[in-house]
Amino acid sequence: MRPTPFEYHRAESLDHALALLAEFGEEGRPLGGGQSLVPMMNLRLARPAHLVDINGLPLDFIEVEGDVLRVGALVRHERYLKEKVIGERFAAFHDAVQWIGHPTIRSRGTIGGSIAHADPSAELPAVAMLYGATIIARSANGERRIAADDFFLGAYMTALEAGEMVVAVEFPLPPAHSAGAFMEISERRSDFATVSVGAQITFSGGSITGARIVATGVELQPIRAIPAEEALSGKPLSACEARAAGRAFAEGIDPISDNVASSEYRRSLAAELTSRAVEKACQRALEAGQE
Amino acid sequence: MQADRPRHVGARVQRVEDTRLLSGTARYIDDIRLPNMLHLSFVRAQYAHAKILEIDTDGLADLAYPTIVFTGKDTAGIAVTAHQDFPEMQFSEQPVLAEDKVRFVGEPVAAVLADDPYDAEDAAELVFIDYDPLTVVGTMAQARDPEMPAIFDNWKGNIFIERQMKGGDLDAAKAEAAHVIRRTFYNQRQTGVPMECRGVVAEYDQASRVLTVWTSTQIPHLVRTYICEELGLPESRVRVVAPDVGGGFGVKGQVFVEEVLVPWLAMKTGRPVKWIEDRREHMMASIHARDHEHTLEAYVSAEGRLLGLKADISVDVGAYSTYPFTAAGDPGMAAKVMPGPYDFQAYEATFRALATNKCPLGTYRGVARPSAVFSLERLMDEIAAELGMDPFEIRLKNVIRDFPYKNVLGFTYDPGSYAESLEKARDLLAADIAEAARSKASSDTRIGVGCALFIEQGAHGTPDFTRRRVPIETGYIAARVEMEPDGEVIVDVGLQNHGQGHETVMAQVAADVLGVDPSNVYVRQGDTLTTPYSVGTWGSRGGPLGGGAVHEASKILAEKLRAIAGHLLQTDKEKIVLYGGKAQVDGAEDRFIEIRKLCRIALRNVDQLPEGMIPGLEAAYSLDGSADGTYANALHAAVVEIDIKTGKMKLRRFLAVEDCGTILNPLIVDGQVRGGIVQGIGSAMLEHFIYDEECQPLSTSFADYLMPLATEIPNIEVHHIETPTPRTPLGAKGLGEGGAIGPAAAIANAVADALGISVLKTPLNGNEIWRLATAIREGE
Repeated sequence: MRPTPFEYHRAESLDHALALLAEFGEEGRPLGGGQSLVPMMNLRLARPAHLVDINGLPLDFIEVEGDVLRVGALVRHERYLKEKVIGERFAAFHDAVQWIGHPTIRSRGTIGGSIAHADPSAELPAVAMLYGATIIARSANGERRIAADDFFLGAYMTALEAGEMVVAVEFPLPPAHSAGAFMEISERRSDFATVSVGAQITFSGGSITGARIVATGVELQPIRAIPAEEALSGKPLSACEARAAGRAFAEGIDPISDNVASSEYRRSLAAELTSRAVEKACQRALEAGQE
Repeated sequence: MQADRPRHVGARVQRVEDTRLLSGTARYIDDIRLPNMLHLSFVRAQYAHAKILEIDTDGLADLAYPTIVFTGKDTAGIAVTAHQDFPEMQFSEQPVLAEDKVRFVGEPVAAVLADDPYDAEDAAELVFIDYDPLTVVGTMAQARDPEMPAIFDNWKGNIFIERQMKGGDLDAAKAEAAHVIRRTFYNQRQTGVPMECRGVVAEYDQASRVLTVWTSTQIPHLVRTYICEELGLPESRVRVVAPDVGGGFGVKGQVFVEEVLVPWLAMKTGRPVKWIEDRREHMMASIHARDHEHTLEAYVSAEGRLLGLKADISVDVGAYSTYPFTAAGDPGMAAKVMPGPYDFQAYEATFRALATNKCPLGTYRGVARPSAVFSLERLMDEIAAELGMDPFEIRLKNVIRDFPYKNVLGFTYDPGSYAESLEKARDLLAADIAEAARSKASSDTRIGVGCALFIEQGAHGTPDFTRRRVPIETGYIAARVEMEPDGEVIVDVGLQNHGQGHETVMAQVAADVLGVDPSNVYVRQGDTLTTPYSVGTWGSRGGPLGGGAVHEASKILAEKLRAIAGHLLQTDKEKIVLYGGKAQVDGAEDRFIEIRKLCRIALRNVDQLPEGMIPGLEAAYSLDGSADGTYANALHAAVVEIDIKTGKMKLRRFLAVEDCGTILNPLIVDGQVRGGIVQGIGSAMLEHFIYDEECQPLSTSFADYLMPLATEIPNIEVHHIETPTPRTPLGAKGLGEGGAIGPAAAIANAVADALGISVLKTPLNGNEIWRLATAIREGE
């Protein structure tokens, strides 16, 4: 449980970091909070020859600019719990953060790391998809803006290319008449999720006008629950038939099976958590009473 | 004589060892650094069962730093063997480095030494081993299949040993029975997981010809004996030291191949050698635990009296027999303790140890008793359900009430409080039981209450080990108590603290007898140079036997102090009371002499001693347990809340009503009970060491092997009943393992109650609870 030899480089600026990553290519990895990368190095599952420490870079910002919430790659998970805009406008995001690891992981882990690592059960990739976020990636060749829906390709696989790193994630601010919730089941409170579901609805005149639902634990990357989203359209907030939506989603999936959970169990959880997340979102919408 | 004065034994004395353990000043195995030391990294088997064709170490020659590598060719013939002396036993030899074959993933194949531990680990990756994979024996069914290849060349099949235990007339019980209830129960494979992994440092001094071995062990003297026998060294010149041990739980109660190999390497290379195990190695290659399958058949009268019990017990003990409790340890223990706290006189158990290509099974807190109690206590609830009785009612009808009680196998139980603990728990749980009953109407959330009544044999004496015919052979604990000229006390005891608080309790015991304060008592253990030969710490014997030995040795010393004081105060020594640092005349408190002055006289101013008295203040005592030991008892109860839709189970409440005889230190007893229960909750719900079909381990990190965390554990309520045993000097019974024994049974019974269904196996994780709740979920 000791890493293979590697060289450590402290990036002095973003350009410096990108130049180093360009130089090292597949052999280089940016080091943020190290909450996934370092254990994997100690288990020798990851063997980067060069670590580029980006912790000194000014990437720990959370800012609202117009209709967009920009979160810098180095923002640590625990910070969302204190950010007013997350609590008020991104309820599902706020719910999800409480399911990320332990307090130590939340105080060190970064959004850039979580997004780039793309653990199949991680919360933040699901949150990024739930809000239709855009991943901002930079390399020595410039910037790429990648929709979250197109970013996560499989377990630990993303659209990032060698030499490229996540610098920020942009979340469009949800409209005023919207609400969301995030639900998770895991063996222990801090574990990798068995299944998690986030739901975000928009509404008008007491009825749902649009829904976006994302689940982990079904495939090896977060997936949209499109049949459930469609089933909810036009349903009243007070009787949204969330159970039917959950069933509609579960019928069309063929979940993975492993030592934690069978495919059948995951299917059942996907239906139940979809239903609960939608019900909670509707309840929040009704409580807000903003019509 | 001193009964009316406050005593240290029984008081809530804070643990003295915690200052260093909690402040980071404890000294663990990895803190031992010697000049010129080599670091060892193992190349471990990647196949579960394979022939070794070739070991290629050429890659090491190209490295920029020097390395030394040893393989099984170098260590041929050095092994750990642990035989149970029955003709049925098939013997295994576990080589310190695999020779021609590997038999489980993680088995050491080559030892790579370098000046730096990082270099050693990098170099170990460059050793290439060419294997010829063999058919894997991976399950109990495969181990019992005579068509499968034997994993040892000279074996027939893959059963280490199969034997029987019986008592009474089972046929008569069966004939008389109105109900025959038969169930098969299963507990999953686990590993022990102390916070500190294993580690060994060894140094050989050419000048004195003394070999010193530091190892994170519970049994330093047994390690010394084994090393000496295997390497042909004199025990007088081998010193084994256990430094602070960061948890053991029984795992560190075996002699491991690494503990024999590292000293051999130190002698071979002429340099100190250090091996520190990492977590992955620990999980796949220390010892495993549980993995029991029991089929029980109960013969029950129409009124619910248990007339007889038949048991068939299989345990997957992995690839090698472990020293000193052997491959027969777990199955034999399960068969022995299965009759439990109930009054019946017909029993027959067939038990077998099955060899598979997995990590060897060893002792882990509870040793077979968690599985035996799981099976028997689940069976009691199954009987209750079949007869339409309440779980408390069926137990109260069958529980032993008259002591001493000779059980069906001839073991005599000392007095306990079995029925009282049941009644007390029933009262404490009344509201939960009512709420559980009301929840049966719900198909969303169910509440269940489950209990497990059990006894824990501890502090057993030599006859119990003789009967087993295993290399442990005896179970006495020795203590030596010495006073210094300034009145300070040294207690050397043949235990090894790995979390129990011996330093606190032994000081309490000695202080009471010698009339001094516990802060004036220095307790030493774990070092064969300073402590008398003993078997170490395991089997719930530290308090009753270690404490008892310290008590008896202190009494010898106290007698001498009283004789000196009587002489100086010109009174009969029988009138001298040792208390509060003074030797005083009973009833005349102004007539006293300070105990520290007595010590000075005994050791320095010896001209003041009574005529003919030999100078010095030193006494020793070795205390063996009584033949059948002591029987602590406990009732564990769990209240669970189950989300039927998701399988999510919450432990709402967990309580223990325990009786360990005289309580030496209530803080430590409560800590032992609570810690054990947390491990038992892990067994019940989370911890599962999984192998795939090729016996590749899948649970080699804490991401895959789930330990109970604070977020999963409710407040654990501990209630006490105190029934002192006449079998130990202080009336204390063994208690260390009890906490871990009951939770799997109690929680499974609570799940069975909540869901109205048979629960036959653990772990009761989310998927399993969801599966068990299917009928309720689909019935909506």
